[in-house]
Amino acid sequence: MHHGYHDNNEPDLAKLQATMQAIELACSSIQMHVNPAAAEATILSLCQSPQPYKACQFILDNSQVPNARFQAAAAIRDAAIREWGFLSAHDKIKLISYCLNYVMQHAHSQEGYVQAKVSSVATQLMKRGWLEFQATEKDAFFQEVRQAVIGSRGLHVQFIGITILESLVSEFAPSTSTAIGLPREFHEQCRTSLELNYLKTIYCWAQEAALSVTNNIVQSNSEILEVKVCTAALRLMLQILNWEFQYSTSAVESTKKSINVFSTGVRFDVNSAKRSEYALVQPGPSWRDVLIHSGHVGWLLSLYGALRLKFSNHGYWLDCPIAVSARKLIVQLCSLTGAVFPSDSGQTQNQHILQLLSGILQWIDPPDVVSNAIKCGRSESEMLDGCRALLSVASVTTPHVFDQLLKSVRPFGTITLLSTLMAEVLKDLMDTSTDEETWSWVARDILLDTWTTLLVPTDLTHPSMLLPPEGINAAANIFALIVESELKAASASVSSDEAEDYLQASISAMDERLCSYALIARAAVDVTVPLLTRLFTERFLRLHQNRGASDLTETLEELYSLLLIAGHVLSDEGQGETPLVPEAIQNHFVGLTEAEKHPVYILSSSIIKFAEQSLDSEMRASYFSPRLMEAIIWFLARWSSTYMMPNNEMNKGVKSKTVFESDLQPEQAGLVFLSLFGEHNQGKHILDIIVRIAMTTLVFYPGEKDLQALTCYQLLHGLVRRRNVSAQLVALESWGKLASTFIGDKNLFLLHAAHQRSLSQTLVLSASGMGNIEASNQYVRDLTHHMTNYLVEISGRSDLKNVSQQPDIILGVTCLLERLRGASSASEPRTQKAVFEMGFSVMNPIIILLEVYSNESTVIYLLIKFVVDWVDGQIIYLEAQETAIVINFCMRFLQLYSSYNIGKISLSLSRSLLSEANAEKYKDLRALLQLLSNLCSKDLVDFSSDSIEAHGTRISQVVYTGLQIVNPLITLDMLKYPKLCHDYFGLLSHLLEVYPEMLLELNAESFSHIRETLKFGLRHQDAEVVDMCLRALNALASYHFKETAAGKVGFGSHAAGYKDPNGKMQEGILSQFTQLLLQFLLFEDYSTDLVSSAADALLPLILCEHVLYQRLGNELIERQANPVLKSRLGNALHSLTSSNNLSFSLDRPNYQKFRKNLHNFLVEVRGFLRTM
Amino acid sequence: MSDEEHQFESKADAGASKTYPQQAGTIRKGGYIVIKGRACKVVEVSTSKTGKHGHAKCHFVAIDIFNGKKLEDIVPSSHNCDVPHVTRTDYQLIDISEDGFVSLLTDSGNTKDDLKLPTDEALLAQIKDGFNEGKDLVVSVMSAMGEEQINALKDIGPK
Repeated sequence: MHHGYHDNNEPDLAKLQATMQAIELACSSIQMHVNPAAAEATILSLCQSPQPYKACQFILDNSQVPNARFQAAAAIRDAAIREWGFLSAHDKIKLISYCLNYVMQHAHSQEGYVQAKVSSVATQLMKRGWLEFQATEKDAFFQEVRQAVIGSRGLHVQFIGITILESLVSEFAPSTSTAIGLPREFHEQCRTSLELNYLKTIYCWAQEAALSVTNNIVQSNSEILEVKVCTAALRLMLQILNWEFQYSTSAVESTKKSINVFSTGVRFDVNSAKRSEYALVQPGPSWRDVLIHSGHVGWLLSLYGALRLKFSNHGYWLDCPIAVSARKLIVQLCSLTGAVFPSDSGQTQNQHILQLLSGILQWIDPPDVVSNAIKCGRSESEMLDGCRALLSVASVTTPHVFDQLLKSVRPFGTITLLSTLMAEVLKDLMDTSTDEETWSWVARDILLDTWTTLLVPTDLTHPSMLLPPEGINAAANIFALIVESELKAASASVSSDEAEDYLQASISAMDERLCSYALIARAAVDVTVPLLTRLFTERFLRLHQNRGASDLTETLEELYSLLLIAGHVLSDEGQGETPLVPEAIQNHFVGLTEAEKHPVYILSSSIIKFAEQSLDSEMRASYFSPRLMEAIIWFLARWSSTYMMPNNEMNKGVKSKTVFESDLQPEQAGLVFLSLFGEHNQGKHILDIIVRIAMTTLVFYPGEKDLQALTCYQLLHGLVRRRNVSAQLVALESWGKLASTFIGDKNLFLLHAAHQRSLSQTLVLSASGMGNIEASNQYVRDLTHHMTNYLVEISGRSDLKNVSQQPDIILGVTCLLERLRGASSASEPRTQKAVFEMGFSVMNPIIILLEVYSNESTVIYLLIKFVVDWVDGQIIYLEAQETAIVINFCMRFLQLYSSYNIGKISLSLSRSLLSEANAEKYKDLRALLQLLSNLCSKDLVDFSSDSIEAHGTRISQVVYTGLQIVNPLITLDMLKYPKLCHDYFGLLSHLLEVYPEMLLELNAESFSHIRETLKFGLRHQDAEVVDMCLRALNALASYHFKETAAGKVGFGSHAAGYKDPNGKMQEGILSQFTQLLLQFLLFEDYSTDLVSSAADALLPLILCEHVLYQRLGNELIERQANPVLKSRLGNALHSLTSSNNLSFSLDRPNYQKFRKNLHNFLVEVRGFLRTM
Repeated sequence: MSDEEHQFESKADAGASKTYPQQAGTIRKGGYIVIKGRACKVVEVSTSKTGKHGHAKCHFVAIDIFNGKKLEDIVPSSHNCDVPHVTRTDYQLIDISEDGFVSLLTDSGNTKDDLKLPTDEALLAQIKDGFNEGKDLVVSVMSAMGEEQINALKDIGPK
């Protein structure tokens, strides 16, 4: 195919025809799936050919095939972006105006997608040149579009004008922009420029366009062309209001609208971030005239009002595009906030919202009528948009203002409307109860979000932040309905047995909903907590009265739901922290002095009493199914982290900051019941019950992995996190029983291995509750004795080789290794000594087992992981002598592992077994690299009393030796595992940056292995891997440069070149990488994010290898045939190393200068180097 | 505790036992299991429940270690499964015959001549070439439930 031509020759018509036919043929063969690869290649060659503009324009102007025109437009875009650097200013403007004229002239065209493509090419090129075009050039462009948009050239052109602006706005918004090979900074500059200088004007044009057609639409009775124009204009306005405004300065101080990330930020960051439904619209004061004072809202509402009347007419319906766009814009305007309103303490804003609400009310009020209409088949979209509008309003007002809004036009407040609306929705939900997402499902979620937005605790000192009294009643009623509907759903779900219905899955799916429920419940806590208690007790009684008489699955399911709801209402999730008693619970019940009558106490203790029933074997067998136990354990875990032996100081601290002044004691401030759960009251007893329940799940629910996982990871692990609880635990008989069962009972050897690990960790952690260090260490010794003993004993057996492969022995060994791992990862300063002794005593057995099980990958992996965890927990505490022992052990371990695995190939013919074997090897290697990294950390953090160097241990040497042992196992194939690849290059770049000199001590094989893997990494797809390689190169080259500058040898022979095994002379490592890196930068695809680190690597390489660099530069210039490009390239290469006063040193300013130079260099030359 | 400590002790005749019972819940990915009388390696374990308030059961996907066929099984997780006794023995490779049979040197100094190399041509050629070059090769023979097969090969350097 040919499409090249030279500037001064008129293109030959025949050639253009031929190109067009070739493209047309390619397009139609793609459509018909005839040899698509060849067709794509043809189209690609058009995009990649130099200066294809004439050919493309010829196709656009003459081709009858729309797809060909589409491809031609795409080719113009690709070529122009690529060749931008050497197109003349005149050419650029010509291309843009060609596209612009093209779409205007073809405004009647039926092929919308070609039009859209050409418009987007015009706007992308406009953006590409945005920072270099003269103001007059931009103005000319906008004048042209403006003429179209105001309608002076007819409706079709008006529509096209609006779509051009749409495409322009979306190109300039960073989140929707197209990549054009420039850094993010460029996109940001364009965004700023558009926002400050054009965005408002564009909005006004859209307004004008919509206004100009409104009358015709209102008066017509059928679908007319004006509707299309108006829809587009509405869409454009919505798009602009979705813009992330950044220059809306002069923040509003009133109420919560000011975004101060550090104080009231909770509302915006923590909770709202999750809610995707709304985003605040904050355009700033300059928009006031357009949005507030221009009667814009009034016009929009009357337009929609007029449309509503037409819904029965032909061409209009509730979901027709213009109605949808108008509603979306109305909802969006509800989120308007910030400095766009004058600072009149919210008056203007309230009027604005009220005006909007008056229109929106017709969509949702009266709720029962609306709901019935939907049940009778009316589309729900208007009602849902109404809910969304309420959500938007809630997000910009305080609960008080929110409620007051409606009172001026209705006898009730907005919160009452919200709750009647929600009640209707919940009723429908209960009636239908299908699994599908019905309208009521969607509406419930939006309305729940609205409640959440209103209720998320912010600054409670301000009365307007609190719900008004009617609001509290409404919340109580809604919560009662919510619980009713959840219980109904629960008992209905009994018949459907969805297999994947686990607690974890259902909790995370329901979590957001449950959090909203909890917020609503807490708003009226004095009503809702007793309600939960009543419902719970009723069902609890039902179980007791029944005693196995009939099937109570429904009741079990209801209890399950109640446990989840109660857990959310009573306590927050700690996420590793100790959660406080929720503020709502702290602030209520102030006058209550009798702790036993406190509703929270009553609910908590009735649930605990219920849970205690599971200890009775008869009750357990008949009612406490694994699923119910999961909910119980989950509840106990969540509850105990807040209420079990609470730290009064912390809860008191919060108290004094809120409504109640510090002269109130917690006892007076409604927290009187907390002391009941303290260590001197019922705390110990309840803790004992919890431990016994935990043990029940471990012993009497064999094989229930999910339940046991909850017990191990959430409940028990949470208990030992706090020292005061641990202190009580170790004194409990039941905890002692758990420990002795763990040590000796067969049942606990049947737990899932990972659970055994966790349990072992938990038990060792509880040692922190012992009175003194010696006692803690002794506690750990007693716990771990059985593990070390068994391993010492079995590894000493004379028949080890024969028995080791028996499944029961393998099971025993793996269980104990897992337990050792758990104990190792519980290393704390207090028990460090005992954990060290534990590992020390199994060092020999580990080596023996490594040999015996060399073919048993699962055991090998555990052995490695144990060593990794043990070293990780211990290394920073070890004294010099101990360090030497551990390091010797690790080296022996690595050497042995390597000798068993090097050169081994699996002969299995089953592909899945082969890939399993590879995956196992990969996991091993990854763990070994982790071991090396752990050893490295000794050089970074060290708590020992004397320096290990004094005892002749050098960590750098150790780690390099380790690397040398592991290296041969890390083949390029293995590096295809992304995580291994990541770890390997992470370690490598760290080592090269910190100890580059050690590279010299590696043997030739390892050295070349590192060289080859670096080459591999440079070509990796993952930018992060490439980045790590570049950092490694920087470290290598700058080390060499600094050494040689100081008159030393640096990498000596490695850098100078060497003879390969065949006796051929090879180039030195640095020159190889110089060439490779230049090749990469000039000719390959990579993310622009990498340019900076590439610059950092290239600078020292050039300094080391300047002769080579000169030669390569000259070659590059010589290869260039075109004299213009040749001189451009020459100049660019020259300024790469000379502009910005670049000097020959490796200091920070110089690195920064070079980054800039390289960046400019690439923008200048990459475009043409890559095409020719 | 001394009672329980003996749970892992082998019985006197353990070497003869072909399978061992083990609770389904304790069998992990990467471990072995007997499905339909075949020794398999587990490649996937998942758990599910029998009905809402029922008990957990394990779903195993496993590969026959000798013929590579995929097998599946569902077992209540508190029940026992059979776990095969899989052993691997290393032998030095002495000779490869024309028909693919190998001659292996046992610990006692005798030869073992009843095993064949895998039938894959490329792999076979690679082994033969290595052997002819004089490399010292060790083969690992896997056996379980009365079957045996060469499953791995290791090059321990030139002779």
